[in-house]
Amino acid sequence: MAQKVSLESGRLDTALAHWLSHESQRGVFVTDAQFRLVVWNQWMEIHSGRLSSDVIGRVLFDLYPEAATRGIREHYEGAVEGSVTILSHAFHRFLLALPPTNTELGVAEMPQSAHIGPLSIDGTVIGTVTVIDDVSDRLATEHALRKQIEAQRRARATAEQALHAKDEFLSTLSHEMRTPLNAVLGWARILLDRQTLDHALVQRALQVIERNASAQTKMIDDMLDMARIVSGKLRLEMKTVDIVSIVIAAVDVIMPSADARKIAVRTHLDPKTPLIVGDPDRLQQVIVNLLSNAVKFTDVGGSIEVRLDISDTEVCLVVKDTGRGIDSAFLPHVFERFRQGDASSTRRHGGLGLGLALVRDLVELHGGSVSAQSAGEGKGAMFMVRLPTMAEAAVGDDGARVAGPGPRALAGIRVLLIEDEPDSRDLARAALTRFGAMVSAASSSAEAVNEVLSATSETMPHVVVSDIGMPVEDGYVFIQQLRALSPERGGRIPAVSVTGYSTPGDVDRALAAGFQLHLSKPVDPLALIEAVAKLSRQPC
Amino acid sequence: MELSALQQDALIELINIGFGRAGAALSKLTGHRVQLEVPEITMCPIDEMADRLRPLLDNEVATVHQIFSGPVDGDALLVLDRNSAAILKELLTSEPPLPLEIDRSAREVITEIGNILLNACLGTFGNILKVKVSFSVPHLTLDTLESVVGSITVDRTGLRYALIVHSHFRLRNSSLTGYLVIVLGVGSIEMLIRALEGWEGQGR
Repeated sequence: MAQKVSLESGRLDTALAHWLSHESQRGVFVTDAQFRLVVWNQWMEIHSGRLSSDVIGRVLFDLYPEAATRGIREHYEGAVEGSVTILSHAFHRFLLALPPTNTELGVAEMPQSAHIGPLSIDGTVIGTVTVIDDVSDRLATEHALRKQIEAQRRARATAEQALHAKDEFLSTLSHEMRTPLNAVLGWARILLDRQTLDHALVQRALQVIERNASAQTKMIDDMLDMARIVSGKLRLEMKTVDIVSIVIAAVDVIMPSADARKIAVRTHLDPKTPLIVGDPDRLQQVIVNLLSNAVKFTDVGGSIEVRLDISDTEVCLVVKDTGRGIDSAFLPHVFERFRQGDASSTRRHGGLGLGLALVRDLVELHGGSVSAQSAGEGKGAMFMVRLPTMAEAAVGDDGARVAGPGPRALAGIRVLLIEDEPDSRDLARAALTRFGAMVSAASSSAEAVNEVLSATSETMPHVVVSDIGMPVEDGYVFIQQLRALSPERGGRIPAVSVTGYSTPGDVDRALAAGFQLHLSKPVDPLALIEAVAKLSRQPC
Repeated sequence: MELSALQQDALIELINIGFGRAGAALSKLTGHRVQLEVPEITMCPIDEMADRLRPLLDNEVATVHQIFSGPVDGDALLVLDRNSAAILKELLTSEPPLPLEIDRSAREVITEIGNILLNACLGTFGNILKVKVSFSVPHLTLDTLESVVGSITVDRTGLRYALIVHSHFRLRNSSLTGYLVIVLGVGSIEMLIRALEGWEGQGR
């Protein structure tokens, strides 16, 4: 039986010696009590590059003098006295300087751990035995594990930070949502409690309620937009847009709040700014957000500058204020969601901290980029939005570029513009003129009718653009009067109606009253140009 | 069998001398100042050993185990709370920790530390007993205290005593506690006590 054979001591010794010499996956060597080598196994031959026949009989420290200088000899002297020594890689790196087996570890010697012990016969120490392990693979594994753990730790820290920002946001949210509600509820209760109501009080209450409800609507809109962006559900209605008119419209939106705080808003807008491709509503939202941010953080009497810088490939919108600036530590986070420079409960400025995050997300959806600069607290801030111009702009979903009206689309077209509100009138006039139209403007229905009645065939307008909501006589009255005229007196001039109310019912009513096309406010200047261009081609 | 107060004091002094050398060796090895102190030594039958190590009872322990043989033979163990073992390794190597189960480098380091301490302690014994003992290669296990006691090999049939050396490690403003346990058969214990008496009798 196999067991009996293996127990014959002579053959067992031979078998063990053979195994140690040829099969062991560790380095094994034996010395006598004077540290002369007597066994040098195959692993040692392979990894030291020294053949057994070359080293047997030689003193270990003659072959590896460097080991003696590192204090290794003491352990061998201990072994002769009966001690066992463990040499961990962490403390000793290696026992003998052998060439590395894994070059990726970047070490000059094979990393080793080892133990040195006495070799005894019948209780008498006759020499030493050394066993060496190559720990390269182990080190590589441990190194990789440490990296993984560190990466996980970092990911966890980031997640915790995001969670913290969200918590902070929720508490800000509840506070911010309550503030306008308090005003609405407070004034509603005042109205309910009063026995008699005078007009001035009602007027004031309604203004407060309207203002606060609008503020809350804006917050909810911001949140919904953010939710859409985060879930990838925000769709941009891309068209060719004139960024100049969008900036003008956005400035108009914030003017009342800037005026209220005596903040001067200066614009430097080049009318030759190239067209860009974008969603006009969203771009206006971007600019309004930047401007209201500037107004919010600029003290009474300060100023805001709005500028469009043009280069070959992009349009850069710059909004610069003289406000309180941004702390350099917060600057890198200024476009992050839910982040506010001052999140304390005593902060001076309200808001959800979503405005600038929306700006970044919307601009990036347009293929643009945002950046912010500030020399520090109290030194003002500058925000820049870079948007690619049309030549550079992203192509539409179908791969085709969206075609816009050419710069001379309205050349030679006479347009009669009827609008009671001066700002809107100027905006529409500017847009039409830029595309080559000749515009005569009227501020009321009566003025417009007179204009038509007094026109000659050389001055007769080709197209009429009329506001609907006007005092005294509205747009419906005007179109009825116009259509009552004979064709040669202008009765068939095609007309576009413009209203702030645009339910399907309003559109039907406008068309039934005699308009050919209907546009809703705020009017997209390019939509207006396209409408006028289209109607001007129709036979009168 | 119990140690008298005098015998106990003598043993504490002797082991402190050995630990002083071990601390110096560890300081040199790690580049950090390592101090080792022995505030207390107790002796008890091996059945009471687990009870004496009560502070470690609830936890898994890291044990460096070395068997020694010669004119006296027995088991020598360094028993550390597992957590302390991990901390000790981190303090000594300044490497970020991995769980001890998979961190073979850490286990090797703890084995080497155990080896140094056990050598220091047993070397002291060898000196006073004037005998030479030889050691087995030390092994580290992560297990419950109960199974550590079960793994002790010396003289399974006879009466066995455990000499428990309560040890403090002080390094880098931290302090850790561990236990060195020497398990000896009754004959070896008697030899040790006689040698201690002789050593005391020399009047120092």
